[in-house]
Amino acid sequence: MSLTRLLERLFQLVPVLLGVSVIVFVMMALTPGDPVQIMIGDQNVSPEQVEQMRRDLGLDRPVHERFFVFLGNAVQFDFGQSFYHRRPVADVIIERLPATIELTVVAMLIALVTAIPLGVLAAVKKNSFPDRIATVGSLLGVSLPGFWFGILLLMLFAVHLNLLPVAGRINFGVSQGITPYTHFLLIDTLLNGRLDAFRNALAHIILPAITLGLPMTAILMRVTRTSMLEVMRQDYVTFAEAKGLSRTRVIFRHALKNALIPTVSVAAIETGSLLGGNMIVETVFGWPGLGRLVVESIFVRNYPLVQAAVLFYAVVYVMLNFFADILYTVLNPRVKL
Amino acid sequence: MIRIHRILLASAVALGTGGPAVQAQELIVGFSRDADTLDPANHRNRETETIIRNLYDGILTRDSEMNIHPEIAESYTQVSPTVYEFKIRQGIRFHDGSEMTVEDVKFSLDRITVEGAMEGQTSPRRDLMGPVASVEIVGEDTIRVNLSEPWPLLPAMLPNQQVVSKAHVEAVGSDGMATQPMGTGPFRLIDWRRGDSVIMERFDDYYGGADGIPPVEAACVERVIFQVIPESASRVAALLSGDVHIINELPPHSINQVANNPGTEVMTVNGTRSFFIAMNNESEIFSDLRVRQAVAHAIDRDLIIDRILGGNAARIEGILSPDAFGKNQDLPVYEYDPERARALLAEAGYPDGIDVTIDTDGPQRDTAEAIAALLTNAGIRTQVVIGEGAMLTPKWRTEGAPKSGDMYLSSWGNGSLDPYDIFVPTHRSHDRGNSAGYANPELDALLDAAGIEVDRERRAEMYREAEAIVNADLPYVYLWVPQDIYGVSSRLSGWSPSPDSRINLHDACLD
Amino acid sequence: MSVAEQIPAPAPVADSIFRRNLRTFMENRLAFGSAIMVLLFVLMAIFAPLIAPHDPYATDLFRRLQPPAWMEGGDWAFPLGCDALGRDILSRIIYGARISIFIGAAVILVATTIGILAGLAAGYLRGWVDVVISRLVDILLGFPYLIFAIGLMAMMGPGLSNIILALAYKEWVIPCRVVRGETLVTRELEYVEAARALGASRWHIMRKEILPNILSPVIVVATIRMAHVIILEASLSFLGLGVQPPTASWGAMVADGRAFILESWWVSTFPGVAILLLVLAINVASQGLRDAFDPRFTE
Repeated sequence: MSLTRLLERLFQLVPVLLGVSVIVFVMMALTPGDPVQIMIGDQNVSPEQVEQMRRDLGLDRPVHERFFVFLGNAVQFDFGQSFYHRRPVADVIIERLPATIELTVVAMLIALVTAIPLGVLAAVKKNSFPDRIATVGSLLGVSLPGFWFGILLLMLFAVHLNLLPVAGRINFGVSQGITPYTHFLLIDTLLNGRLDAFRNALAHIILPAITLGLPMTAILMRVTRTSMLEVMRQDYVTFAEAKGLSRTRVIFRHALKNALIPTVSVAAIETGSLLGGNMIVETVFGWPGLGRLVVESIFVRNYPLVQAAVLFYAVVYVMLNFFADILYTVLNPRVKL
Repeated sequence: MIRIHRILLASAVALGTGGPAVQAQELIVGFSRDADTLDPANHRNRETETIIRNLYDGILTRDSEMNIHPEIAESYTQVSPTVYEFKIRQGIRFHDGSEMTVEDVKFSLDRITVEGAMEGQTSPRRDLMGPVASVEIVGEDTIRVNLSEPWPLLPAMLPNQQVVSKAHVEAVGSDGMATQPMGTGPFRLIDWRRGDSVIMERFDDYYGGADGIPPVEAACVERVIFQVIPESASRVAALLSGDVHIINELPPHSINQVANNPGTEVMTVNGTRSFFIAMNNESEIFSDLRVRQAVAHAIDRDLIIDRILGGNAARIEGILSPDAFGKNQDLPVYEYDPERARALLAEAGYPDGIDVTIDTDGPQRDTAEAIAALLTNAGIRTQVVIGEGAMLTPKWRTEGAPKSGDMYLSSWGNGSLDPYDIFVPTHRSHDRGNSAGYANPELDALLDAAGIEVDRERRAEMYREAEAIVNADLPYVYLWVPQDIYGVSSRLSGWSPSPDSRINLHDACLD
Repeated sequence: MSVAEQIPAPAPVADSIFRRNLRTFMENRLAFGSAIMVLLFVLMAIFAPLIAPHDPYATDLFRRLQPPAWMEGGDWAFPLGCDALGRDILSRIIYGARISIFIGAAVILVATTIGILAGLAAGYLRGWVDVVISRLVDILLGFPYLIFAIGLMAMMGPGLSNIILALAYKEWVIPCRVVRGETLVTRELEYVEAARALGASRWHIMRKEILPNILSPVIVVATIRMAHVIILEASLSFLGLGVQPPTASWGAMVADGRAFILESWWVSTFPGVAILLLVLAINVASQGLRDAFDPRFTE
């Protein structure tokens, strides 16, 4: 990976981000609904105060002017004030990020841990009964509406068995005295040597993470199976087998390592779609993440927040793709980008 | 008493097990929504106010029966139709230990009412304070609120505003106020985990709150947590599993389950939100009174209240809640009578019925569908259109501009239970919430006069007359005022729900 | 795309290969069975008025949340119980198949059509057309799917056609990428070169020479994505942006019924099971299709 190539890649970000900004802005501008009227609802207000509030929020200016102000400020990482929170949008978004990222990563890990063994098994026993079972089993996850599955899990584990909590990231009681080094609770609790708090955070994240990660299992399992089959037909594997190495040894020592490259790249790319798709799980489990906030913000026409958040998602998406490319080249030198 | 008992018990447990620190008494509220901000002057949101109200106290407050009590004020008097005087209690402390003075009280009110008082911006709550012209300090413990015109609502509206620390606001600015509260309330903020929870602990130097609402002492529980759980089924699940002790917005269909579950109970209180169907009075069909009457007679409100709202709603024949000031208790009733509805339609020139739509938002889907089925049954063939709330506002709250729909199932809140807040916006010509497009100069004049009438009985009589007018003109079909339903743990005592939907936890205890 | 680019495309003798592939597919009993099941669901949708025991829109508040027949308070006239307005859940599921399958099929039809046209143009014409289309695809991929759809629904307002558009506006990039990649490979093949040498028009080459040979992967992707779209529609319903009442889509039934799940589980569970069965069947069948018709993904 040469430096020019890297710069070229970063440069490709620009048209994507600009395009995303234009589309979001136009969409919000064409969407009916006045943030000030929504905010006031049925409380007392005079037309003068409505005008006043529109001025304070910058809504009195024409749309094209607002767009250029937004662009100019966005370049300097200033995304304006959130209408409702009355604080800088960047702050409001950053506060929600650790929860969203932690949930996404744990969900992806759960998916990988389930998908890889299933994929390997399916490939090794290709077209056998276990292969079919693994395929159908992994497909179960993509075949359910996530919120329904989440609520069913919640009923079973939180209400009937009363084993796991319903909502939130951690109980306040056990979280006291923990220094937030990273704001990722599973890491912070361990860094603080607080196993009780770690267990508590784990108990909170497990159901939402399973709900979010389950659909990913099918995709990753399929990728693992395919690439595993491909690798197993490669010359060096056949050669190793011919040399008399045991089949298991060949599979785990040689084939698996190479077969996992596509799985990991796909996982990296799909992490982006998990990150942008967790609003439903966040709602069901009262998880304080970004997705829920963005959806709420669309409904109440909190333009600055929606614009900034969508830009954030786009940056993450491009970065993850970039990362997956690098991963692919570094791990598999035969591929030239 | 309860507290002493509990402390003894707790210490006994702690000694007995020799374990770690005693688990703090922790009351958790499963709440539908996070606060937007913790700055009492910079929002327009009821849930935000509910949370803030436990950190900040007001000059006045309400008890759960909606009676008004002095809180930070010791007493108040109306000096003249446009001047109110408040004697401020001495010795109240902010959470940082500093003493609260009349300066702070004046500063708090100015911050809300003076244009540009918040670093150039104006508080979005300004209009909740009506015609407040100025606030002056007239002694060491007295302030005076001057109005630009008579406004009998001032005491009813003051509980919605809270007192902040002047020194603190000047130190942290408006941006800082959003996350760093400094009030005189029964609880102080420990942590606000955005989107997740607002965590507060008991403020031990609390002055005790309103004299009229005993017990007057520091809060009962040591810690209070508002845990955000937006999904209603999850909120109920959290209550049933014992994770939380109070939940708001318990859906009517979950009442039986919560009531039958050992360890949880249902609490209800008369709400203040009136539901109605706005009919587009400017449209050809609904400009005819007989058609509007047909709609009213076609809806079996008792059936819907009984089957869908679980019996937890009061039928209304005018816009006001049965508990509101000036409610007319003798309004004629539009009985359910589909035959009558058909006859009225035929009389209006629609013997074959009419085809119309009814707009509403997601939460009203069930009732809208039930209403549509009843209307269709009486020849008013109705199609339900569910719209996003933000989209219905520009369509139906047009401030006088023509409306483009037929009917709109909607509601208007009336937290103060004073008719002014609900009657004027929904019925005065061209006002914000006048979705029916109703225009009646006679009613406008009556409402204007009632708004500034200082004689209570005369004012009540004016609203009774106004209700009789709209009951006859029928710009809306008035439906019901639902109760607010809460689920609570049986361990909870000292708390009851309040019609203004606030959850004040000062006196709440857990056994 | 790198995987696709390395692999030779199928030979142009499409017909016999199609037959062979179809045979392979039918020999995979699990996949074939799933395809039959999808077919049964489609038949159920088509003949809904003949099968459904009740009018799916007839409300009866006295049957509100009536349990399924085998439970206390149930009634065999309403085998799966009733919903919040006393409507027969079984009849609504039977009618709901129409809406859910229609939404899935319509979105995929619109998206695949756009995707094929854009992908062919980008892959065959290259040049600025490719740059413009590829950039647009990049931009749309930068949007989280649901957030984009929610934004569009907010902009366009409610309604069945708007749901289809809101999903199709982003969905088309997926077939587009597949078609573009395949076209890039196919356009360099000898027989395409030959057609070009013979003076065939671009339009003719794209339509007659390239398209038939890249259709297999497109169909495979389309079936998998159709399953996904049915789930997405349920997600939109969850967020309050689903089909209009009294229409029943399975997604809307699950989403609206979830509020009752703690005490009246049947309201959302039966439509949820219906989604599960249909979507699982589509997925299993489409993987069988992929194995049979697009074997380079497996072998």
